[in-house]
Amino acid sequence: MKSIKKLSVALLSVIFCVFFAACSDDSSSTSTEQHEHFEAEGWVLRWPDGSLAYRVYQGKADSSLKPLRVNANCLSEHINVKFLDDDKKEISAPKDNEHSLGWTVGDEKILDIEWEGGWGFHLKGVKKGETTLILKVKHHDHSDARTPEIRVIVDEALDADACPFQDEDEE
Amino acid sequence: MPMPARSRMKMRNSSFFKAAMGSLLLGGFLLSYGQEFVQDLGTTNVAAEQSSQAILDGLREDDDLKDERLERALSTTIAETIKNEPDVAIRSMGPAAARPVIKGLSGNHVEVTEDGSFNGDMSATSPDHAVASEVITARKLRIVRGPNILRHSFSTAGGVVHVHRKDIPFGDTIFHGYVAGYGESGQPGYATAVGVNVPVDRVSLKGELSARKMNDMNTPDGELENTEIETSSGAVGGAVPVGNFRFGASYRWFDSDYGIPGGFIGGHPNGVDIELHKYDLTLRGLYLPASNFADTLDVTFRKNRYHHKEFETAESVGAEFLVNEDNLRMEKFVSLLGFFYGIHLGGELDYRSVKMGGYVFTPPTYSYSGAVFAVASTEGWKGLEITLSSRMGAVAFRPRESVVADKDAIENRNFALFSFDAEFSQRVGIGKFLTLDAYRTSRAPTIEELYNQGPHLAAYTYEQGNHKIDAESGYGGEIEYRGYGESVNLRASMYGTWFLNYLAPRATGDTNWSQLLPIYRVQGDEALLWGTSYSIEHDCERGIYGLLIASYVRGRYKDRRWRDMPQIPPFKAYGEIAYKFEHFRPGANVTLAAPQNKTDRYEERTPGFVTAGLSLETRWKLSLAEYSLVLRADNLFDADVRNHLSRLKSVMPEKGRNFSAFGKVQF
Repeated sequence: MKSIKKLSVALLSVIFCVFFAACSDDSSSTSTEQHEHFEAEGWVLRWPDGSLAYRVYQGKADSSLKPLRVNANCLSEHINVKFLDDDKKEISAPKDNEHSLGWTVGDEKILDIEWEGGWGFHLKGVKKGETTLILKVKHHDHSDARTPEIRVIVDEALDADACPFQDEDEE
Repeated sequence: MPMPARSRMKMRNSSFFKAAMGSLLLGGFLLSYGQEFVQDLGTTNVAAEQSSQAILDGLREDDDLKDERLERALSTTIAETIKNEPDVAIRSMGPAAARPVIKGLSGNHVEVTEDGSFNGDMSATSPDHAVASEVITARKLRIVRGPNILRHSFSTAGGVVHVHRKDIPFGDTIFHGYVAGYGESGQPGYATAVGVNVPVDRVSLKGELSARKMNDMNTPDGELENTEIETSSGAVGGAVPVGNFRFGASYRWFDSDYGIPGGFIGGHPNGVDIELHKYDLTLRGLYLPASNFADTLDVTFRKNRYHHKEFETAESVGAEFLVNEDNLRMEKFVSLLGFFYGIHLGGELDYRSVKMGGYVFTPPTYSYSGAVFAVASTEGWKGLEITLSSRMGAVAFRPRESVVADKDAIENRNFALFSFDAEFSQRVGIGKFLTLDAYRTSRAPTIEELYNQGPHLAAYTYEQGNHKIDAESGYGGEIEYRGYGESVNLRASMYGTWFLNYLAPRATGDTNWSQLLPIYRVQGDEALLWGTSYSIEHDCERGIYGLLIASYVRGRYKDRRWRDMPQIPPFKAYGEIAYKFEHFRPGANVTLAAPQNKTDRYEERTPGFVTAGLSLETRWKLSLAEYSLVLRADNLFDADVRNHLSRLKSVMPEKGRNFSAFGKVQF
């Protein structure tokens, strides 16, 4: 009888140990925290002179605007990113350092993005063709907001000197 | 004093009746869950002299998927395995994330239990969450119907799916074990399991391991990316008798990595990868009074931890869920007391903590619940058997403030719940039963239904809870006929539930423009759900076997005008014909699903389909072991199968032509 009891106690102890060893590392909290999130009803992309490059509000893109274009082997002018609130009022990007600009290019063999930080970017043509661009507000490991697919046309390649926009920093 | 059911059965000494009821007796006809343990102890004689169960419950237990039937149906998930049972459909989002739907009801209307206690996962809350339970290691799958649902759930209109594993091996006094393997081409990969039970002196020990690795699913339109599954699970358990007491403990874990495909409007182009881990510690004690071993007192404590992460990319966590749940369950079984027999009296206490991380807008919430239940049968006159059951309890939700949650939605909520079921089963001939079931169904909202406020990446929806909703409630009834002949068994059923407040997320037609996701908001609505199911089976020891099962359900919301409910499965029929030789069983089957055109607003219609399959089974019993091999060819003609309850249907069809093999050696 004693041996049975000992064996039972040993068995239960082993099970308890395995359980608590497996669970003790992070049983009370998640590895990722919840944070306040940025919400936008729309996006506005502007060229340096303030003119509209792209605008979308509640999923509907402004069809009066021409598609974004850039030549292969060239950079576009700098594009500034702003957002729209419920009242279609333009609002600035989040100013904290938890949010940043992100993107997904449909075909990276056609288009690349040159980003120097902040809420702006350049299109960089790689190869002649047409692809899509999705811009995102990155927040930690996920995105708080995103655009629909934005059409981007990459025109034929030009020599660096012939590109319409010359990056002064590069010079 | 009413004559015990078993004694009444014994009086019918015709060979016809014996034939009709033979399988029931073998299937543990008069043995409730607690008494299975008694039988395992070798005290069957004691149990068999007692009336302990309504006849209808015994007949229902004969519908269990176990042994050959389970091996024949075995598939990737529990839902996929029971999909051809009457009134059952599958809600899915890829092959891993599949959950049973019963009588058109899904989510928390369908409880999944393991060894009689809750299966702690989050599969009820979202279609992309898998049921954290490995099917290849299941000993038996039971769909609980009727009054016994209330021993586990308030939702009498839905059902309970029991996964029997016997992780605590009470009464296992011999060395035995098994090795099983499953492989298929439809989702190329394998699953394997090995289990062993060892008695050491008077202590019974159990160990079990399983692994599953399946690649992307093949469909008639090509490979569906990001549908791979990699799972491992295991269990250790032990039991020891001490006088009139039996004590046992088990530890079970389940780890799974699986993919949810992409390509939906608003979804991540490459889908989402989900990683989940579940651990259960179960302690169980039984008391068997010396005066009557059948009258058990069963106390079970289960501590569960569930951790689930959804990855948008290899390292980017989109959502995270952490659940800790403790449950204490007590159940007293009394075989005979006055006019009643088969009495189950019990109660449950439950504590649950849910924490979210990543991109989830639900505040951390604690919930506390308690419930008491009773089930008892009595005899009327001229073969009438009445089973009454009720369950009452309360749930309290205590959300914590969170930076992401809508401040106004952080509100404590308490719900009182009450459900009952009264079943009248009249014997209308030898082996023929006509049953009327009347019930009240209820259900507390879930944490997610109350407080969730945000996008759910893998479900491709923006989910809004509603902290003002009341508990779900409704009234319903079912008429069922069961006839058991010498070789033909027939079952026909019609049911309906009038929900006074049916809780479900409904498409609002709005979109969250930040994420470009459709908004679903939880609402309580009046709704009517009704349906019917039929099964006819021709069975014999050798010769032709035939089975035909058909199920239909319809659900309508009572808005300003009647409107079809979303996510209601279409009419489905399954037919099988086989020939039973001594060791072989070749067979063929056909599944037919009608188109589903009765849809909610913003819900897509789904075309119907017909699939055909072949099977060949062989079983050998030698002195030291039993061998079984099941070869199947499903969806032979590579039909385009769209599951109405799957959000994948707009992107790709379900699994295409599939060749599978299942083998098992039991020693």
